[in-house]
Amino acid sequence: MSAAAARPLVTVQSLESDMATDANSVPLPDVMKAAIRPDIVTFVHGQISKNARQPYAVSKRAGHQTSAESWGTGRAVSRIPRVAGGGTHRAGQGAFGNMCRGGRMFAPTKIWRRWHRQVNVTQKRHAVVSAIAASAVPSLVLARGHKIEEVPELPLVVSDAAEAVEKTSAALKVLKQIGAHPDAEKAKDSQAIRAGKGKARNRRYVSRKGPLVVYGNEGAKLVKAFRNIPGVEIAHVSRLNLLKLAPGGHIGRFIIWTKSAFQQLDAIYGTFDKLSEKKNGYVLPRAKMVNADLARIINSDEVQSVVAPIKKEVKRAPLKKNPLKNLGVMLKLNPYAKAAKRMALLAEAQRVKAKQDKLDKKRKPITKEEASAINSASKSWYKTMISDSDYTEFENFTKWLGASQ
Amino acid sequence: MPPIPKSHIWYFTRSYPSLFLKPPHCEILDSPFLSISEMATVPGQLIWEIVKKNNSFLVKEFGNGTASVKFSKEPNNLYNLHSYKHSGLANKKTVTIQPGKDQSVLLATTKTKKQNKPSTLLNKSLMKKEFNRMAKAVVNQVADNHYRPDLKKAALARLSVVNRSLKVSKSGAKKKNRQRL
Repeated sequence: MSAAAARPLVTVQSLESDMATDANSVPLPDVMKAAIRPDIVTFVHGQISKNARQPYAVSKRAGHQTSAESWGTGRAVSRIPRVAGGGTHRAGQGAFGNMCRGGRMFAPTKIWRRWHRQVNVTQKRHAVVSAIAASAVPSLVLARGHKIEEVPELPLVVSDAAEAVEKTSAALKVLKQIGAHPDAEKAKDSQAIRAGKGKARNRRYVSRKGPLVVYGNEGAKLVKAFRNIPGVEIAHVSRLNLLKLAPGGHIGRFIIWTKSAFQQLDAIYGTFDKLSEKKNGYVLPRAKMVNADLARIINSDEVQSVVAPIKKEVKRAPLKKNPLKNLGVMLKLNPYAKAAKRMALLAEAQRVKAKQDKLDKKRKPITKEEASAINSASKSWYKTMISDSDYTEFENFTKWLGASQ
Repeated sequence: MPPIPKSHIWYFTRSYPSLFLKPPHCEILDSPFLSISEMATVPGQLIWEIVKKNNSFLVKEFGNGTASVKFSKEPNNLYNLHSYKHSGLANKKTVTIQPGKDQSVLLATTKTKKQNKPSTLLNKSLMKKEFNRMAKAVVNQVADNHYRPDLKKAALARLSVVNRSLKVSKSGAKKKNRQRL
């Protein structure tokens, strides 16, 4: 991993009050290169935001502060428990059921509902690290909706002179100088009354989020200067809150770092090889894929030199032709078919011819020689029949046949 | 080995041999420090995976449930369509064509080396010429120097629409005379 050897530099933006030649640069801490996992951030954010909840419940006696009893059957009323007594509207009204007016609700809410959620420490840290890394990618910050078109560089690091700013007017000037003013302005313009019941429940106004200013030295005056600007939030480096880094569970908040804060990030979160100093035994999480640039991998020499060329022609299945109808296909399957067919044809022709000959012969009138030959043959046959039957035993036959000669 | 065209994504490898890859081609790697833009930044496809589900520019219209057209309002998107190819967020090289001041057209392309410096990211140029010359300039910037040749049609289409809108804004929208018989 070449990243370990050479770390890119981030220039520190100088403000007016800086000494002129102070605009230097700091190396990028490894946190900003950690794996960006929006799924972990959404999960952890969802869990963590449950931790600030205050319990609510209905009174446990609500709906039960009557001594109602069912009237039973036989009174032409439903069997719901009814309020005892008399002399008031309330008498005889249904009580206790969730369907009754003035009755207890279904499943009364209890205060021992599990309001808070536990999240593994490593998961919480992974989420924070992901959110910080995402804040260094301009596309993600833009996608979250911040106006950073005029920001000179991301991540935006400001010299420590910003921490000494005391007046809010000076703070606004600082924002203007570093190009963060459009984002703060967007937040200010977006202040509106909340839609819905929340406005009557002490959540009257909503607005967009502006930049998050992160400082490094305790007790910096900048907190008081920046905190009244609408949309702008402040945080100390060692106390970064995921709910502020990824508001709404969406990664890519616009963060303004002071130089000392930026330099502490390496100590707080560690690097990919070095343990963190402040978090016991913690190393930055590893990404599943170190080089996620698929297009570059695929087009690289190592891959392209081993890969087979594109198949531009798409091979489609040919149409099946019926061999019983298509002679060519039949011959492909069975070459003997040609000979068989030929022989069949010849045999057929022969048969036809033979039959025709036979018929012709029968239909032709016979010649005189033939007729006389037939005649004489039949006469001689008759004579032989008679002579053959002239023998001694013949009288026995006459008895059998019942014929007399 | 027949020459293989180096196209955007036609192949798929089975494994991602990150350990065996040489580091990105940077002669500057020899020095101990780089400027932040020259390091391998978050690649466009990773950004797309994060951004494609939801972002502040996404607009879903015409439909219900899962069926809807997804538009995207970011300035660097030529078709305003929510897709990887046209996205202004997920690509290093993008083109944008917008109306500028005084009936001029602003053509801007992003510089690949300044991805982390949003204020100096764009090469802007205001054009106030006639349409044919603007079209030629656009084609030169987008396709002919191989910047993003796949966006040529989109750039020209957007140019003509922007141009027309400027003409309309100059002369005012058509006023229907409803009193005429």
